[in-house]
Amino acid sequence: MRRFLDRLYAAGGVLAAVCLAGIAVVMLAQAAMREMGLLLRGADDIVGWLCAASAFLALGTTFRHGELVRVGILIDRLPRVARRRAEFVALGLAVLVAGYILWAAANFVYESWRFEEVAQGLIQIPIWIPQMSFVVGALVFFIALVDEFVVLAAGGTPAYRRAEEVHRAHPEQAEAL
Amino acid sequence: MGTLAIGAILLAVLLVTLAGGLWIAMAMSVVAWVGLQFFTTSPPDVNLFQAYWGSSASWTLAALPMFVWMGEILFRTRLSEEMFKGLSPWLAWLPGRLMHVNIFGCAIFAAVCGSSAATVATIGKVALPELAKRGYDERTCVGSLCGAGTLGLLIPPSIIMIVYAVAAEVSILKMFLAGVFPGVLLVVLFSGYIVVWALLNPGKTPSAVEKMSLGERVRRAKNLIPCLVLIFFIMGVMFTGVATATEAAAFGVLGALAIAWWSGSLTRASFVTSLMGATRLSCMILFILAGASMLSSCMAFTGIPRALAEWVAASQFSPYALILVLAIIYLLLGMAIDGISMIVLTTSIVLPMIDAAGFDLIWFGIFIVILVEIAQITPPVGFNLFVLQTMARREANYVARAAIPFFFMMLLAIAIVSAFPGIATWLPDAVLGVTKK
Repeated sequence: MRRFLDRLYAAGGVLAAVCLAGIAVVMLAQAAMREMGLLLRGADDIVGWLCAASAFLALGTTFRHGELVRVGILIDRLPRVARRRAEFVALGLAVLVAGYILWAAANFVYESWRFEEVAQGLIQIPIWIPQMSFVVGALVFFIALVDEFVVLAAGGTPAYRRAEEVHRAHPEQAEAL
Repeated sequence: MGTLAIGAILLAVLLVTLAGGLWIAMAMSVVAWVGLQFFTTSPPDVNLFQAYWGSSASWTLAALPMFVWMGEILFRTRLSEEMFKGLSPWLAWLPGRLMHVNIFGCAIFAAVCGSSAATVATIGKVALPELAKRGYDERTCVGSLCGAGTLGLLIPPSIIMIVYAVAAEVSILKMFLAGVFPGVLLVVLFSGYIVVWALLNPGKTPSAVEKMSLGERVRRAKNLIPCLVLIFFIMGVMFTGVATATEAAAFGVLGALAIAWWSGSLTRASFVTSLMGATRLSCMILFILAGASMLSSCMAFTGIPRALAEWVAASQFSPYALILVLAIIYLLLGMAIDGISMIVLTTSIVLPMIDAAGFDLIWFGIFIVILVEIAQITPPVGFNLFVLQTMARREANYVARAAIPFFFMMLLAIAIVSAFPGIATWLPDAVLGVTKK
């Protein structure tokens, strides 16, 4: 189970990275073709969809890497037991939020599938196809949060906590702003 | 219930969730949900979807992951060594000598990199040990790196400017252009401070100068060529209108890969690490923008920003009083929150006020970016402080105190840019023409 979950997050991350690299490829292809007098139809739409897919699919792995920012200054200073409780509340609320995001995404995309809505740009494909990246990403994110919540509830230290501590020790290696 | 009462409730929810350690993007979504669910008739789940999807699936915003990736690639090259070698022979005549490498190195690197911490880390990892070896005063060295690293945000390309431009719906290109002269102003102020400091403390600058012929100095300056070529290339294609900011960013990635390949630091592993790092970092930023976008759609429904803007317009505030109050609020916010959240949390409320008070949104962007720069070096949460703390192996307090003079230089820069807004707005107007939004 552990191995399956870790692979799931990693797979989301890799797919997201491919989408990110895809943005560069499409942009460069578009510029090159324009020089040759050709037009890459709908490149703008594809870039937008890749950008969204890259963001949503990476949510799970980014979260586990402790790289989603939050204000840690208060709860970090609590004594150990109180801090564990605070973490429990924060993570519990986060599970609810992620669940709601997943529901909102799935619901909306289901509607656009049911009413066969078509993308408004130059590429006239059913809009639910690119929007699936949101649903899949939200699902992985939700699983990652539940996973960490279970770990915390069982008395363990969630992966994002360990990662946050490493960041604090070596911020110069962290890719943060 | 009155609009301002609703605003107060939402603010309370925001503060509690943020302080409780909920992830910032989610805290914003929670506030938006509360606002939409209880105070409007608009369905929150539809709003969530449209805000998240609409803000992420954006061609304009795609410039952001590209610039992030470019910075990640360059961070892993030997650019900083080359920059030190190339710059140092040319700056030794200034009082303070090699200390100026910190400033100019950061300024040049900032022109290829959009983030502050990456700029500090890249320049610092070479300059810090080299200057310590030559006996330079550590405190001023750390302080100047801390201050100058923030130029990464102000000198284009800049990730934070893309975030502001998207949030404020202004042109990314205009923001980039507007950052050029304020960036130069900060370089002059930082270097000026070092000159004055060196003249007042003559004993603290080592007098030994490496003797070097002009030919040798020119040969050493060749180290700067790859970086300068990349800068001129990106700025060139963007500002002449050959390519948009998003396309220029993709070319930047190509250029950064070329530099990495040329200097021999492009390996399969470094490529993958840079790509994964960029993916996670841009995921984090885009998630915050998604949450912020939901919050602003909630704000629009509740009418809070409009009410505040009308209040500001009706009360006979002088515009400068408003700016002063905002500066103080941002300075306080910057002590606890990172720069991106600071901008997206406030734009939906603050921008209508600023507009109502008659300020230029591009100018205000520069104003807020400089405040975010200051936030990077103010304790307890300032990312440049964290970076230098580990690099110099010093206490947080030491680094924060070392940065104080540079903090005041930045405040001075804000005052100057407020008194002479043309420093920010002249260049974009001159290059792109005056088109009022």
